[in-house]
Amino acid sequence: MIIQLHRIEVISRKDMEMIDITPQVDRLVEASGAAQGTVFITTAHTTSGIIVTEGVWCLELDIPAHLERLAPKQPPEGAYGYYHNRYLDFDGRLGYNAADHLKSVIGGIQTFFPIEDGKVVRGARQRVYFVEYDGPLARTIFIQIMGQAS
Amino acid sequence: MKGGIDFHTHPVLVREMVEKHPGLARAARETYYCGNNFQPLEVMLLEMDIAGIDKAVVLPIDATTSRNATVYTNDQIVEVCRMSDRLIGFASVDPHQEAAPQALTHAIENLGLRGLKLAPAMQEFYADDRKAYPVYARAQELKIPILFHAGMSWEPGSRLKYGHPLRFEDVAADFPALNIVLAHLAWPWVVDAVALALKYPNVYLDTSALFFDNPHDFLRYAMTQQVPLTVFERSLRKQIVFGSNNPRIEIKTMAQAIRSLGFSQECLNLIFRENAEVLLGGRA
Repeated sequence: MIIQLHRIEVISRKDMEMIDITPQVDRLVEASGAAQGTVFITTAHTTSGIIVTEGVWCLELDIPAHLERLAPKQPPEGAYGYYHNRYLDFDGRLGYNAADHLKSVIGGIQTFFPIEDGKVVRGARQRVYFVEYDGPLARTIFIQIMGQAS
Repeated sequence: MKGGIDFHTHPVLVREMVEKHPGLARAARETYYCGNNFQPLEVMLLEMDIAGIDKAVVLPIDATTSRNATVYTNDQIVEVCRMSDRLIGFASVDPHQEAAPQALTHAIENLGLRGLKLAPAMQEFYADDRKAYPVYARAQELKIPILFHAGMSWEPGSRLKYGHPLRFEDVAADFPALNIVLAHLAWPWVVDAVALALKYPNVYLDTSALFFDNPHDFLRYAMTQQVPLTVFERSLRKQIVFGSNNPRIEIKTMAQAIRSLGFSQECLNLIFRENAEVLLGGRA
């Protein structure tokens, strides 16, 4: 049984950004020695996400834009204002990024794919994206590979 | 118009510096009291890019007597400034120490630092204590500005009483050729700080205030309701500088908040760049 946990770092360069991490996932799986199994991809952060979608620039714009529509950074007035706008003593600062946490909840923080014959099995259009909701920041992604050698 | 200058940042989370100087991790967590992840300097520069900020003043705090700690030494500020020409280093000295004026001269003339940061609440002194006057006299001789922490302090153990704006009046009056900046709009005493700036042309305010809600809503309250925006736009336009207080506040969010308040473009140019250039002696 092969069980490997890798931590990769990406640096987002914008406030919101989709970063295609498919090549890194593929490389780690191919180097792992696992012929049959599963790869799990999970972000280590609560204001970022992991999303699987088609790898085209237009969706890379549409997805953050519409998550922003659902959970706008400037809090809506009234009943849907954000309680997270308050001092967090464990951080020594105010939390005022509730919208970015909400986007992470909506979009999800992890995905997984099967491994077959030493390669990740993905649909022809599927790409794995790390999604930044509160960048720029250096971010960590966990990639865990579990499988059997051939 | 060039990009802006952020007049108030603390490089406490710069990962490369923490890796070289592990004691900075303790300073960040236990003295400055900031729990966020350490990040490569590149992240701060990227954030400046998206906020339209060219350069940032990086600040140390010498709390040797009060806390037996420094949050960056002057030498460490020099070191981080060597990593990017977009950083402008200030010095800090411990006003409790008799040699503080000499230390300041060394920091400015030999290390090339550009101003002085003092944090009365963390350093535990009143700004109008005559014990600190030799430091002010030396700063005036050196023609450098002093950025004072003013108003509320988040760090446990830092008392608010040291931050009241009226404790800075004697400094402004007794050192008329010394430019002083009261950070954080001296919140909650914004009206008092504005009164001081209206009376003394050598008193500046920086915008790095956030004590509840978020930068957009907080600054709208402090700069349009506590004091009408027209007072800043008409009377204090040459005495306000943009400051984010990064990493307690993100540069991008603070810049966006200031730009959303309704200032004229001419006033925004002063706040984001030109006033800081004046304080830095015309060379940013």
